[in-house]
Amino acid sequence: MALVRLEGVGKTFRGKGGSWEAVRDFSLALEEGEFCCLLGTSGCGKTTVLNMLAGFEPVTAGRILLDGQPVAGPGADRGVVFQGHDSLYDWLNALDNIAFGLRLAGMGKRARREKAGHFLRLVGLAGQEGKHPAELSGGMKQRIQIARALAADPRMLLMDEPFGALDAMTRAALQGELSRIWAETRKTVLFITHDIEEAVALATRVGVMTRGPGGTLKAVVPVDLPFPRERTSDAFMAVFRQVHALIHAEIHPQ
Amino acid sequence: MRNRAETLAGFMLGFALLFLVWHLAAVYLVHSVLFPRPAPVFWRALDLIEDGLLQEQVVASLRRILQGFLLGSAAGIPLGLAIGSFRPVRVLLEPWTEFFRFIPAVAMITVAVIWFGIGEESKVFLIAYTTIFVIIISTAAGVGAVAKDKLRAAQCLGANRWQLFMLVALPATLPFILTGMRLAMANSFVTIVAAELVASNDGLGKMLWDARLFMQVEDIFVALVTLGLLGFATDRAFRLAIRAFAGRFNPTM
Ligand SMILES: Nc1ncnc2c1ncn2[C@@H]1O[C@H](COP(=O)(O)OP(=O)(O)OP(=O)(O)O)[C@@H](O)[C@H]1O
Ligand SMILES: [Mg+2]
Repeated sequence: MALVRLEGVGKTFRGKGGSWEAVRDFSLALEEGEFCCLLGTSGCGKTTVLNMLAGFEPVTAGRILLDGQPVAGPGADRGVVFQGHDSLYDWLNALDNIAFGLRLAGMGKRARREKAGHFLRLVGLAGQEGKHPAELSGGMKQRIQIARALAADPRMLLMDEPFGALDAMTRAALQGELSRIWAETRKTVLFITHDIEEAVALATRVGVMTRGPGGTLKAVVPVDLPFPRERTSDAFMAVFRQVHALIHAEIHPQ
Repeated sequence: MRNRAETLAGFMLGFALLFLVWHLAAVYLVHSVLFPRPAPVFWRALDLIEDGLLQEQVVASLRRILQGFLLGSAAGIPLGLAIGSFRPVRVLLEPWTEFFRFIPAVAMITVAVIWFGIGEESKVFLIAYTTIFVIIISTAAGVGAVAKDKLRAAQCLGANRWQLFMLVALPATLPFILTGMRLAMANSFVTIVAAELVASNDGLGKMLWDARLFMQVEDIFVALVTLGLLGFATDRAFRLAIRAFAGRFNPTM
């Protein structure tokens, strides 16, 4: 049975300026342990889908099932890595940020620092535990977000363009590490991006969305390539071209 | 990271310059017994300190400020948190804060004296009054400014409502609360002098008033310089506190 099932999900925002349909009839099932990338142009509704799955916002059509149960709100079973750096706690150092979920669960100081230290090293931040968010680079902050989500041991990880604001080299390095961490932990991941290469490099399946408003799932492309992936290989390029054609049609509609 | 000693040296130099400008102005520009030079004011201050008179006034004023300030903060912080967190509370209390905010404490002196007499109570009331609204407003604004993602991140790490408030909303609001307190402290100085000028038996404001009555110009300047130095010292203390608690939150402080 699929871990997550989005069935005909829709979201219409209602405000003073009338109503705005952000997502329409979105259906997708996520299997346990898979790495699914959601790809789409800016404003097509990617974050909105994630917000509904995370439980931050209610659906206005359809339903979302997690383990067969409708999602009713945010919970520790779905870890989220946010699009910006706002979500880090400026008054806590790197280690205590990572340990935050453990603290909420009532774990003692010693135990949670030890466990957080493990995840700190997992994301390659050994030696940076005492630094506060203001003293960390953009890439380091995203690593902390990832480690913080992982430390709480969620069933799945929801990541919203976590590397979108990074330079190309840092991004490639973090992609490699995320791939390695995923292989180690086998978490189910929903990863949002608008970078085709990133999607093909990381995912076991790539979902392509139509452009907004009222974005929906256009196609799902399986990526049956072994890890680590060779980005210049013919097989990689073939999948890249396939996904590119799907996206291109959204950017330049006839 | 700026060097402590460097900062201190900078401050000393700044003050030295201030007194130098004062001296030059008194010698070359004004030429009047009504505008003394720094030196006689300094000697007069030493005399007053030796007799224990200056300390007496300082302690009287500071005690009132501290009492009223703590009272106003103790009431203002929870009110600000409530106004910032709960819409019904905001709608209910905003008319109050927005109404009294525009009646300055100085305008309340007369009422305070009628109600509480010229003893301690009226001064403490006025300081608390001037403190509370500034703190309510900055605290409420701070709660409103907590980034949505901070709360959401905690929610999907399993936080309950109480944890959200205590471990996320409150620490994120702290810099705003401290900034409000810093502003309120400056207001307290204004208010205490005005209140003591009008109705008091001691304090720096009373000292100013008496000195004017007896035309002791040096005493007036001693009081003024003391006020400036006290204000500077308390403000430094606040900035240090803000930096210790939340400097990483707001690197411009
Ligand atoms: N709270 C909201 N109220 C009204 N409209 C909203 C709200 N949140 C999102 N929208 C609208 O829904 C649409 C989809 O937004 P969303 O943030 O999901 O896009 P996105 O695919 O994540 O884009 P990007 O790649 O730029 O992050 C946009 O047109 C946006 O303006
Ligand atoms: Mg987005």
